[in-house]
Amino acid sequence: MQDLVNIFIKGVFIENMIFAYFLGMCSYLAVSKTVNTAVGLGFAVIFVLCVTIPVNYLLEKFILSAGALEWAGMPDVDLSFLSFIMFIAIIASIVQLVEMLVEKFAPALYGALGIFLPLIAVNCSILGGALFMQEREFETLTEATVFGFGSGVGWLLAIVAIAAIREKIRYSNVPAPLRGLGITFIITGLMGMAFMSFMGIELG
Amino acid sequence: MKALLDILAKVKPNFEKGGKLEKFFPAYDALETFMFVPGHTTKSGSHIRDGIDLKRTMITVVLAMIPCLIFGIWNAGHQHYLALGEFIGLGEGMTEKMMVGAMLVLPIVAVSYGVGLGIEFAAAIIRGHALNEGFLVSGMLIPLIMPVGVPLWMVGVATAFAVIIGKEVFGGTGMNIVNPAITARAFLFFAYPSDMSGDKVWVDTTLNEGQKLVDSYTGETILSQAINNGEKFVGTGGEPLSTMDLFYGFMPGSIGETSTLACLIGAAVLLLTGIASWRTMFSVGVGGYVMALIFNVWAATPFMTVEPFTQLMIGGFAFGAIFMATDPVTATQTNTGKYIYGFLIGFFAIMFRVFNPAYPEGMMLAILFMNVMAPIIDHYVLNANIQKRMKRANA
Repeated sequence: MQDLVNIFIKGVFIENMIFAYFLGMCSYLAVSKTVNTAVGLGFAVIFVLCVTIPVNYLLEKFILSAGALEWAGMPDVDLSFLSFIMFIAIIASIVQLVEMLVEKFAPALYGALGIFLPLIAVNCSILGGALFMQEREFETLTEATVFGFGSGVGWLLAIVAIAAIREKIRYSNVPAPLRGLGITFIITGLMGMAFMSFMGIELG
Repeated sequence: MKALLDILAKVKPNFEKGGKLEKFFPAYDALETFMFVPGHTTKSGSHIRDGIDLKRTMITVVLAMIPCLIFGIWNAGHQHYLALGEFIGLGEGMTEKMMVGAMLVLPIVAVSYGVGLGIEFAAAIIRGHALNEGFLVSGMLIPLIMPVGVPLWMVGVATAFAVIIGKEVFGGTGMNIVNPAITARAFLFFAYPSDMSGDKVWVDTTLNEGQKLVDSYTGETILSQAINNGEKFVGTGGEPLSTMDLFYGFMPGSIGETSTLACLIGAAVLLLTGIASWRTMFSVGVGGYVMALIFNVWAATPFMTVEPFTQLMIGGFAFGAIFMATDPVTATQTNTGKYIYGFLIGFFAIMFRVFNPAYPEGMMLAILFMNVMAPIIDHYVLNANIQKRMKRANA
């Protein structure tokens, strides 16, 4: 249990997808103009991470990694060279599913997210999450799922925080060349500095 | 005074529209309004007649910091002599201590004001907006949260970073999202960790001919002692420190932060004049106390066993709660938000310093973190209020 809490806290704060690894920056920068859409996209990312990481975990464990195909009577086969392409394929199909669900149940959000919903498929934080999962060699399926959930929550926190800041600075007198993306990058840097306070915290 | 006014009036045409020094009008304007109450009135909209304006507010905050500054100067000298084993008594060598302290502290103040105001003037001239007084406070805060041993060029670099990246790119005073003084401190802390933490920088140990450090010398701050020893604190000369010593601030630390008493005098000034929010200050204290109490019960490491009230007196907790968490620009704007914001600052400050041995100064990091989170808190507090009123209207 303590391990799971650790993994979760680590995913949210210490190894935050945005501020520690700068993954998933494109949608983070593009969809952070208002808090409400940011929250919507954030939850979509949490959902996708929560589904893709366990699926990819099972794929990795039972098909791709060296010796994983033992159950099928092929202990010498090593398919790990396929992991990139397989992970992407899984992510793409699950994103398709999310898109259909959002369109059906939350049309307003679907309109607001626009092109960025299908783009979750190529959101680096999703593939990054899958690859971190592979690299960190989680013991159980639960650990992998909690990791996915934690990373998603961290991403949500980051995008909501910047969206709120961008709403706040809407009336700030930012120099013309920096308006829009420029100032957003600077804010992200300052926020990254704030999140550095969590680095080095050792849990349990 | 009259002569000064005449001079100002005489050169004014040069700076007005069409004058040859038109570009430098913000600089002239700043000097004029700094010394005399200007005769401007609002041209439209509401007319609120009140003696308090941005300038008065800022000067009051600076005045509230003066006790911390004076104590910091004396303490810098006191710690220096403790390390040498001279004038160990508190009342001894007052003049010498003030002299040494002033030699150490005033250059830092000068660099911070010089660099910061220089950049502010330049920015005002380039961008053509009025020069604001916000930096008067930041320029005083920056030296007070630096260690005594910080090299002056670092103060300059950090101030430049804080004023440009932390403030001017957002449009100047009132538009920034993180407190510039905290930005300066955090910038140095992450960029030059060896000059901002550890046990070499808190006490000035420059030796003259024939002087030497006492054998029991320790330059560790109270925070780093607490990590290993819990509540057995010793001062620079190795003498044990009582809780009252911590309260008065006879310990090494950043220049202005050591004395909780001096900070409380500042707090009284800020609260009586109504400039700082009592909600934030109060809830920072509560947050810190609650977290320290939880750690007390848990008591897994020596640091956790430190008494809650002691936790609030060591490090920069009091200083941060009183002067930095209450920054009206970067804090939450709503009253409910202020309680949440303050509570989380206190809570995170104690958590960071206990959990994160590499970053003992949790207060700075907690305020920085909550500065970034403040807009979300405001957003949801506002939305909750809207929902509540909608419900009432519909009922």
